Amino acid sequence: CLITPNLKMAALCSEFGDLVQIKKQLISVISLCKERGLVHSVKWASELAFALDPLPKDELPPSHLVSEEDVQDLDAFALAKSYFDLKEYDRAAYFLRGCHSKKAYFLYMYSRYLSGEKKKDDETVDSLGPLEKGQVRNEALRELRVELSKKHRAGELDGFTLYLYGVVLRKLDLLKEAVEVFVEATHTLPLHWGSWLELCNLVTNIEMLKSLSLPSCWIKDFFMAHIYTELQMIPGALQKYQSLIEAGFSKSTYIISQIAVAYHNIRDIDQALALFNELREQDPYRIENMDTFSNLLYVKSMKPELSYLAHNLVEIDKYRVETCCVIGNYYSLRSQHEKAALYFQRALKLNPRCLGAWTLMGHEYMEMKNTSAAIQAYRHAIEVNKRDYRAWYGLGQTYEILKMPFYCLYYYRKAHQLRPNDSRMLVALGECYEKLSQQVEAKKCYWRAFSVGDVEKMALLKLAKLQEQLTETDEAAQSYIIYIQEIFSCGEQLEHVEVSTALRYLGQYYFKNKLYDEASLCAQRCCDYNDAREEGKALLRQISQVRDQTETPSGELFVSLSDNNTPIKRVSPLNLSSFTP
Amino acid sequence: MASVHESLYFNPMMTNGVVHANVFGIKDWVTPYKISVLSLLYEMTTSKIALQEKRRLNKLILPLQQGPDLQLGQFLKTVEDCCPQTAFAVKIRLNEMADGELKDMEFFFTTLPNPTFDSEAYKTSVVGLFIRHMLLAYNKLSFSQVYKLYKSLQHYYHVYDAKPVDGQMGVPTFVADDSDMDLTSTEVTIGDKMERELDSPLYASVELNQISRGPLSQKQAEYFLAKQAYLLKNDDNKALRPAKLQEELNNMLKFNPDFAEAHYLNYLNSMRVQDIYISTHSLLHYFDRLILSGSEGKSNGDEGYGRSLRYAALNLASLHCRFGHYQLADLALQEAIRIAQESNDHVCLQHCLSWLYTLEQMKGSDSSVLTEDSVKMAAHFCLPYLASLGIQSLVQQGAVQGKSAHELMDALKDTDILHWKHSLSELIEISLAQTISIWRMYGKSTMAQQQAQLLLNMSSLEPVNFGVTQNNTEAFAVALCHLAELHAEQGLYGGTTEIFKHLKEQFPPHTQHAKLWMLCDLKIQFEKHMNDGKYHLAQPLVPAIRAQNKTEGLYRKAQVLKSLSRTTEAYRILQKLQVHCEKTRCTETIIRVLLSTAELHWESSDFSTGLPLLLQALTLSRKHHLQALASRTLLHLAFTQLMLGVPEQALSVLHEALEPILAHGGIMDKGRALMLAARCQMALVATRHSLTVAIHTLDEAASYFSTLNCKERLRDVRYLQARLHSSLGQTAQRNRCAMLFHLLDRELQTPRAPTDMRL
Repeated sequence: CLITPNLKMAALCSEFGDLVQIKKQLISVISLCKERGLVHSVKWASELAFALDPLPKDELPPSHLVSEEDVQDLDAFALAKSYFDLKEYDRAAYFLRGCHSKKAYFLYMYSRYLSGEKKKDDETVDSLGPLEKGQVRNEALRELRVELSKKHRAGELDGFTLYLYGVVLRKLDLLKEAVEVFVEATHTLPLHWGSWLELCNLVTNIEMLKSLSLPSCWIKDFFMAHIYTELQMIPGALQKYQSLIEAGFSKSTYIISQIAVAYHNIRDIDQALALFNELREQDPYRIENMDTFSNLLYVKSMKPELSYLAHNLVEIDKYRVETCCVIGNYYSLRSQHEKAALYFQRALKLNPRCLGAWTLMGHEYMEMKNTSAAIQAYRHAIEVNKRDYRAWYGLGQTYEILKMPFYCLYYYRKAHQLRPNDSRMLVALGECYEKLSQQVEAKKCYWRAFSVGDVEKMALLKLAKLQEQLTETDEAAQSYIIYIQEIFSCGEQLEHVEVSTALRYLGQYYFKNKLYDEASLCAQRCCDYNDAREEGKALLRQISQVRDQTETPSGELFVSLSDNNTPIKRVSPLNLSSFTP
Repeated sequence: MASVHESLYFNPMMTNGVVHANVFGIKDWVTPYKISVLSLLYEMTTSKIALQEKRRLNKLILPLQQGPDLQLGQFLKTVEDCCPQTAFAVKIRLNEMADGELKDMEFFFTTLPNPTFDSEAYKTSVVGLFIRHMLLAYNKLSFSQVYKLYKSLQHYYHVYDAKPVDGQMGVPTFVADDSDMDLTSTEVTIGDKMERELDSPLYASVELNQISRGPLSQKQAEYFLAKQAYLLKNDDNKALRPAKLQEELNNMLKFNPDFAEAHYLNYLNSMRVQDIYISTHSLLHYFDRLILSGSEGKSNGDEGYGRSLRYAALNLASLHCRFGHYQLADLALQEAIRIAQESNDHVCLQHCLSWLYTLEQMKGSDSSVLTEDSVKMAAHFCLPYLASLGIQSLVQQGAVQGKSAHELMDALKDTDILHWKHSLSELIEISLAQTISIWRMYGKSTMAQQQAQLLLNMSSLEPVNFGVTQNNTEAFAVALCHLAELHAEQGLYGGTTEIFKHLKEQFPPHTQHAKLWMLCDLKIQFEKHMNDGKYHLAQPLVPAIRAQNKTEGLYRKAQVLKSLSRTTEAYRILQKLQVHCEKTRCTETIIRVLLSTAELHWESSDFSTGLPLLLQALTLSRKHHLQALASRTLLHLAFTQLMLGVPEQALSVLHEALEPILAHGGIMDKGRALMLAARCQMALVATRHSLTVAIHTLDEAASYFSTLNCKERLRDVRYLQARLHSSLGQTAQRNRCAMLFHLLDRELQTPRAPTDMRL
């Protein structure tokens, strides 16, 4: 363990400039973690190391720097490690109890911890009645905490034991202390990804993140990117990952998957799909994150691709949470909702903490019109993670279906709070307010939904219709104009009916305001649509009639009309002429 | 957060993806406590017990069997009270098992009387069923479960055994002796204080677990919730402190997130501390859970979850109403009404209707039509509670609008009959409180006092649970406030203080009804300071009063300004107030404002301008049967007439008012009336006899003023007396009065206001 301080120094002074140095550090930390049985961190580091160019032979870091104590404990450690690998934790701990090296001490404590965890899980199945089930605890935790805290105060803990201490504290629900310890662990051993990951789960908001003093090391960028994704600060995360790719990690499957997930979170479906396809090519047997991929395929209704993915994953490993979720999505897309629900249940049995499955199950029950089961599923999702906006949104939808618009306001508001820049919640909120005849609030919601970038392009239309109802003709016209601009500017014609509605309204509006040029333009455009053709023609006829009677210059009127103060109104109506339907 | 639940979802009760809300469907699991009960039963069947004791034990069986799990100490104590010999035998038996080996427990279960064959415990009797359940449950246990049961039995026994015999209830000793704690305390070196302090969160959680280990079982949790809810309803001082209760509930929910009732209690608890976020959250969570548990019924029918949906919306409305968000409450209520209408739930609709008129009332609009409708419909659907609630609300409105007294009283009497018939004790209390308020409003202090005493001394109809009678309702607060005011009116400030002390204990400042006594207290203090002439002390109270009640605050402000001779400002405020009150139809305040305005006119010696105002006040108060205010108005009229130089008229007017004032009025009014009478007599043709009478009248007034310790007026009285004695030529008495006057004058140090300028 003499390596650790060296590693730390190395990590602190090197930025991305020296990829070779980073690779060296990764290789050493891999061997360190491997010795201690920290498999997930090994996996992460190895994936990252794999993405970097291989080192020439003479540059490889010396594999072992053995201390006196290590030599003494060598045999016992080897024995215990073999037991540990075979999941015989108590046995491993027994043979390690007399060892003095830090490595052995860590494995000793870690075995005790894992043994407690294993027993806890076994107890759960085999308990004395349901009452006791809630009380099943990892009994080893308290002892571990006492011992570790004593050592901690004496300053005898190295990076790995600090990490373990943090985990124990977290399991005991002492979250504040846990965060402190994890921060300390990252300072002592910045290269251990496990500590960073635990920190990610404990940091709940950006203020808390800012208050932490973290070591400045290249790995911190990975952490920041990860936590930005967790906290739904997607642009920041994407930026971080981009810079990491530019720094030389372009081949890392980890980064690719994280970026794909980030794109998924901001509903940039095409980008995300492309990345996932790339990922599948590079790492065809990967199961992680495939549930997210299947969500994307589901949204895009890509049945054959989803079916292919599902079959492929079943071949790889059918008892994985991700596989079950993918199959669930597959059935859901085929409208076999019972089966879908069944697979989500299976996923939950495999991992009850899998919150995506709870939410998805809620969606399935919604499809099956089983509202009460849906509510329950969503509630479970919220219990697992209070920040799950989809579950809150789902609850809102459920109550909306039950025709309780006021009641669902609370849930939509919660969802909106968690995703302030997601237009779907805002539109949903707006619709509820509209149902409650709270037009002012509804208008605010729609306008805000448009301002944050409306995904479904419906907010403006709804706003315009609302304004039309309230006989705010000018505002409605402006909204329709922006709506049409939006629709045409994004290239594809999403809904013909609604565009024609807008055009029809605008035609009438200009006609009433004696702006005959614009009116006739709108009327002509109307004729492109089947359902508005007759009205368009009628309007054209009217215009020509009126024009024959009086030759009114329209310029002044137009000026007075557009001379209003709200920002929407500044858009000139003449812009219409530039549209190409 | 998530890790807490991870073990919970490996749930054998999960079918169809739905975890059944009641995972505790099976209630019969063998626990150490149950073993103790079994051994008690065993002892009872095998050993010879005296008939008397046997009878007592038999009585005990049912509560022991169905009650929550007790600690061994408590259990043995209960048994000991009935039959010490059996208790000892039970203890020995448990000791055998706990100190022996696993086989001792196994042996015990094999020797248990099998009720299928045994005659003593018939197989379908309560005891027989219990034993059979236990045997079945025991036989179903797996190997490791049996071992665990034995372990917990040992723990159960040793916790009791290690404890001093008298400390059965002492939780702290219990914690200290807990074996879990030994682990830590042996590890920690003795001098290591730091460690302990550092560990305090851990210790706290350990302690908490120990305490709440009881409530965690289904029955115990239910018992805990029921008790706390009952206490919250009836006397929330005796319930756990809000923070503590919240902690307990969180703990309970951590282990069992499906326990919906806990969410509801959480809602009630956060209502106590006016926390809208948590209360909304918990309320919605509760109904989300409730919807699940009701889902087995018909999907949208009366029993299905459609019903709970309606009540969910209704409860949300009431929540917003409580927090004064009337618009939101209105929306929620409309929603509830709509859903209820769609599913033809008339009962729910009735509830909605009664909330609707309450809401309208709170918003300050007239809702009598709605209320009448509600009463009619409620009577039609046989909902006596809602019907009489509606009538009470109508009575309240009627009283404010000046309906005739006998109509109101009749209505109240009719509802009272209904209440007693259905034993609606809460409504009886409200009805009494309402009677008190009405009598007070009419100015009949004796009747009010009598009714208040009746309410306070009435024993509640509700069964007394947990040693708490219901006495924290609004009705009690209202009654006590009236009583305090009545005492203050009579100058009995000692009694008032006592009452407020009680109110403070019963309704701590954070509770819902605390505002009632706060305002009342402020008003009494204000009046006292005004009577004492300490305007600088009264002034700071005005903002406080205003915070509680805007109208009242404005009125008081005007009074202070008037006393400080800032006439213009006072006049402006009074004008504003009058307009406002005419809009809200707050008759009492209008009359008081009119009187104050008239007094303002007096200050500028403009007596005739005040007359129409006073007459208006008189008409109003007579129309609304407000006797106290009417007499006070007459007093003002008499004074005006005296000032205008018609003392004969003044005296005749005064005589009309004198009787009710002396019978019902406050002590201040009495004094003022008598002083005025004396001044009228002085102003009349002075015969020797009439002057003597005037002196006596003044004596009486003086005694009233001295109880109030109202020195300014006392000084006036002495001055008048001195002058009377002087005109009668009684020098000695004149000198005495003059001396008293001089003493008071020196004490007060403020220049005397012209006596004849004020009432």
